[in-house]
Amino acid sequence: MNIHLKTALSNIRRSPFQGLSAVFVLSITFFVVTTLSLLVYSSGKVLKYFETRPQVIAFLKDSAKPEEVTFLQKRLAEDIQVKDVKYVSKEEALAIYKEATSDNPLLSELVSPSIFPASIEFSLTNLNYASGLIEEVKKEPIVDQVGFTANIGGESKVESSVEKLKAITFYLRVGGGILVALLLTTSIVVLLVIISMRLLVRRQEVEVLDLIGATSAFVRSPVILEAVIYCLVGVSLGWIMSLIMTLYLTPAVVSYFKEIPVLPKGALDLLSLYGIILAIEVIIGLLLAVSGSMLAVSRSKKSK
Amino acid sequence: MSMLEVSHVTKVFGDTPALSDISFEVKDREFVFLTGPSGAGKTTLLRLILGEITPDAGKIILDGSDVVSLSTKEVPLLRQKIGVIFQDYKLLPERTARENIEVALAILGVPQSEWQDRVDHVLKLVGLAERPEFFPSQLSGGELQRVSIARALVINPKIILADEPTGNLDWKTGEEIMDLFDRINKEGKTVIVASHHKALIEKMGKRVIELNGGKINGATKEPKPKKEGK
Repeated sequence: MNIHLKTALSNIRRSPFQGLSAVFVLSITFFVVTTLSLLVYSSGKVLKYFETRPQVIAFLKDSAKPEEVTFLQKRLAEDIQVKDVKYVSKEEALAIYKEATSDNPLLSELVSPSIFPASIEFSLTNLNYASGLIEEVKKEPIVDQVGFTANIGGESKVESSVEKLKAITFYLRVGGGILVALLLTTSIVVLLVIISMRLLVRRQEVEVLDLIGATSAFVRSPVILEAVIYCLVGVSLGWIMSLIMTLYLTPAVVSYFKEIPVLPKGALDLLSLYGIILAIEVIIGLLLAVSGSMLAVSRSKKSK
Repeated sequence: MSMLEVSHVTKVFGDTPALSDISFEVKDREFVFLTGPSGAGKTTLLRLILGEITPDAGKIILDGSDVVSLSTKEVPLLRQKIGVIFQDYKLLPERTARENIEVALAILGVPQSEWQDRVDHVLKLVGLAERPEFFPSQLSGGELQRVSIARALVINPKIILADEPTGNLDWKTGEEIMDLFDRINKEGKTVIVASHHKALIEKMGKRVIELNGGKINGATKEPKPKKEGK
């Protein structure tokens, strides 16, 4: 075994509680980092879902002629702000209604296709376009009413719906970022304290090594390796805890959000996402370990 | 050929002069004693040679390198060329005798595959082949000093600097350690031993540089034939 790794492991064995506290703090940090990463991913997915689902329904007047409908449909399809334009006839609207009320057949028996208006449904490439486009479609002579389906909190206006969705995503990202920054700072401070204590305990050893020709890199290596071990263990534990929690909650989350894809479809996709998060966390962990231990070493040199 | 050249070296700590205008030379493969009472400046001189402190004036040339002008990063490289032995052994208490010696090889960057043979060789040379896995707390003073000597020898240095190596040892063990230095010197290494153990020094019959109050006391005493027994 490499002499530096041997020294690092022996240092950890000699003061297990210092090691435990470092691993504990780092595990919590990386548990939060992993979970927040997943939440940011999910919020992005929710936003995308609302942006891509049929958001606007233009209900057509009964007097609308087929060629007028085709003309409007074609015009919308050519608009760069619009995508997935679809015509829904009266019969199709009834079928949708019947499906939606399948648990109560009496409701569907009482209606005929004539009471449902035909409509043109379409999605927006960006929710910001909703307000202007709806106003524009409303002016069409064959359009009776325009409905917007992206309302998520019962807001009556398009703007408030978009703003709320964006605000949720913004607060999740900023709040999460602040929380992660605080936890990472705490982790660095804990590493700094532990490594400084380690250097204090090893002061005599460092002096001996110095006298027999050890370079600064030689003296630093076990200390940095020790911090790297703490970080890698912390990253692994935090990541595993978050993965277990996600796997445990997945059935409930999927059943609550139904068709909204808040989590990747399939276990392999979920594991791939977690794999990417792990790789990024390992890099963050290594940076944390190296910067924390280097800071401790430079502080210890200054105090000599 | 000169291994060490000390010329007009002065070192002052605060208002107290530790060394005043010291000059001497040690030839390659020579065995020299630095002697004198406590506070004479022996340890200061060794610390200057090791690059631990810098002189206020003068020059120190070790194996062709100007010790005084070395940068902080170059000092470890200088020390890697010197085998150092201390009165208090300066061993790592958490490591076995073998590991203490291995540390010196690790510092030098010797491949791990060579460690076993080199450590076994020096342990045999210092007479500790039987106790390589003992920790410092399990060894006697003489054995600790042998480990320290083995650590100095394993890097195959050209020069050995020993600061009061027999200071903590009884007469018989001290004698054994001095005999070991003599053997090391005969194998071609330059040996400089700082010691105030006059009887042992006289017995060894080597050149003596006597320091007193930070100055060299007269001319250095040339080697005399080695005395047998005490």
